[in-house]
Amino acid sequence: MNEKRAYPLYFVYGALVLYVALCVIPGLIGVGYSFTDWSSYSDEIKFVGLKNFKTVFSADENYLKYLNNTLLFTVVTTICKSIIGLALAVLLTKKIRGLNIHRAIMYMPAVISTLIVGMIFKSILNPQSGLLNEFLRSIGLGSLALKWLADSKIAFWSVMAVDIWKGVGYIMTIFIAGIMAISPAYYEAAEIDGASGWQKFRSITLPLLMPAISVTTVLNVLYGLKVFDIIYSLTNGGPGYATEVLYTGVYKEFSKGRYAVGTTLSSVMFIFMLIVGYFMIKVMTKEEVEE
Amino acid sequence: MKRIILFALAVIMTLSSVACTSETKATTTAATGASASGTTTSGEVTKQDITITYMVSQDQLQDAEIALGEKFTEETGIKVDYQVIPSDQYVNLLSTKINAGECADIFSSQGGQFDIVSQLNVEKNAVDLSGEAWASTVDPLAAAELSVNGKLFGQPIQDVSSVWAIAYNTKIFAANNLTIPTTFDEFKAVCETIKTSGVTPVYECVSDGWHHVLWFPEMGAAYEAAEPGLVDKLNNNTTTFSASPVMKQSLDQIKEMVDSGYWGDNYMSNAYADAAKNIASGEYAMVVANQGFGAEVEAIGGDLKAADIGYFVIPLVDNQILNVNPVGPSRFIYSGGKNIDAAKLYLAYIAKTENVQYLIDNVSKNNVLPFSGVQDKYSEIIKTFYSTYTTHGTVLQTTVKYVNPQWMEIGKELTAMILGDTSSEDVLKNIDKNRADQAAAAKDTAWDS
Repeated sequence: MNEKRAYPLYFVYGALVLYVALCVIPGLIGVGYSFTDWSSYSDEIKFVGLKNFKTVFSADENYLKYLNNTLLFTVVTTICKSIIGLALAVLLTKKIRGLNIHRAIMYMPAVISTLIVGMIFKSILNPQSGLLNEFLRSIGLGSLALKWLADSKIAFWSVMAVDIWKGVGYIMTIFIAGIMAISPAYYEAAEIDGASGWQKFRSITLPLLMPAISVTTVLNVLYGLKVFDIIYSLTNGGPGYATEVLYTGVYKEFSKGRYAVGTTLSSVMFIFMLIVGYFMIKVMTKEEVEE
Repeated sequence: MKRIILFALAVIMTLSSVACTSETKATTTAATGASASGTTTSGEVTKQDITITYMVSQDQLQDAEIALGEKFTEETGIKVDYQVIPSDQYVNLLSTKINAGECADIFSSQGGQFDIVSQLNVEKNAVDLSGEAWASTVDPLAAAELSVNGKLFGQPIQDVSSVWAIAYNTKIFAANNLTIPTTFDEFKAVCETIKTSGVTPVYECVSDGWHHVLWFPEMGAAYEAAEPGLVDKLNNNTTTFSASPVMKQSLDQIKEMVDSGYWGDNYMSNAYADAAKNIASGEYAMVVANQGFGAEVEAIGGDLKAADIGYFVIPLVDNQILNVNPVGPSRFIYSGGKNIDAAKLYLAYIAKTENVQYLIDNVSKNNVLPFSGVQDKYSEIIKTFYSTYTTHGTVLQTTVKYVNPQWMEIGKELTAMILGDTSSEDVLKNIDKNRADQAAAAKDTAWDS
């Protein structure tokens, strides 16, 4: 026990009770229900062992595809948001005209409701009358006018692109804050030594931005694993099952009244996020120790 | 000075809080007094300060009903908040809301004697409307599909005399010397001729999630005719969809139509709400629609009149049976709602004979509504259509259990099949699997073994 602590331990009890009552206990009950046949069709609830888990991991079901889609979404959006966000942050920390306007424009999508973004892009990406295809046709690139949300081969990539567009401004803002916290003295010293722009970025900006990159990676990964609203509003999991992810699957199971399968999917996701979270925190802590 | 300001502020705060309390009391009294009954002893309608919520799928609410809702508000003071939900999201959202115990005062849903029990659990989630004065005016066939154990739970929204058939532009048919097809091969020949003339043969709208499904279960009577006893066997779980050659043939023919380009290029992003506009423009020749479609096309204001739209049954698997279905979208009152009495007043108002007639006269797709004492508006071309097909049969989603609840799932399966991501065999297997899941959850004894 730390004798120098400023506040007694019982100060934490109130928050702890609320957290346990509102988060931990319902979570554990949810995990418990995944071992039952809980549904809206019957008031009786029976223990069924691992039956629901077998269902979720069965090759006859689509859930493994949902899991793959969720992981693909997480990896692609995390990488793209980080790279584009970083590039924009580097650009928008230079002395350019209308800097704040540029920053505001790039950040704007982050403050728009996801459902509104979904509706807007559903219209923009309409293959027949959408803004994007009309524009492509008008400049003679009709062959590039694809069925963005209607073709099962590209729909998921379109959804990811819209999500990257929406989320990149937020990540950029965190990077801008990180870059502005770097002392100009490092850059001045590097300039005296004749370092190029790329060398300055690689040897000064990137290493000193690692804490911010860690934070944004955690945020992006957690967001990606939990993704629901952008997919719900753009494609509702379609065409067919092409853009289904785990949480649209959970939603559909609940809406079908198959509560137990829904909670099983949530439990699988919980365990998966726990593992991912554990390793990410371990890596981040390691970096802090090294610093 | 400071004390005076403080005192003045305290007085203002006290006064304003008293004023607010009085206002609340007045409102509460008005609402309580009114909710006991909609009318006073003198027969005058008491104005109520209540807002009822009505959750409805976008295709199931018409402007005419909203106009009636406004008149209802004028008469009773009860406001109606229409919560209109996109069709592709409606079923999931409704089920989620009902399952979470947070549904609107009134909700719309498909009827059907099996589904209102297995999907809506109306005995628990909806209010028994048998005692309402209008209940006896509902057509007995329609009422049977909205009743459980002799209790009526729903009020029909749409014309259930109409059937989903292929509505076609008679001018395009005449220009190409085409006649109504009676087999699938003839239908393909018609489509080919129309396609060659530069018109897209069929308007289809997959993105809505429900419309393209119609091609498959609406053929229920044809499947039964091809394999007698199929419906009973499916309900007794002694056969499966995947064991039925005629159902596989039907799905393969749907795929063949799409692959032949008869649905055009934009079927994945089209919306049913634009169907009348696209048929009126002459860009498309046919669409699966009900018999109010001609009036909808005329309402667009182009050259085409209602009489220019003819109908024939969907000729997949050479079907020539008129596919009837007494089940349609219906209004239900949520049993967990706070404004049950006000919601009952709304349904009673809609079911007044003059208002039902108003809905028939002012909603293009309604030729009649399943209530007694109203006048239909069937045109000659519609009468001809009905008289062309002497054999009638009921659709699959009404006769076979656990089909209608997975309508949107079937839509996804069909979409995957159309796009080449899955096969017709897999579609049928997945329908069987979904049926088994629902039967197991409902503890259906036929699925015990």
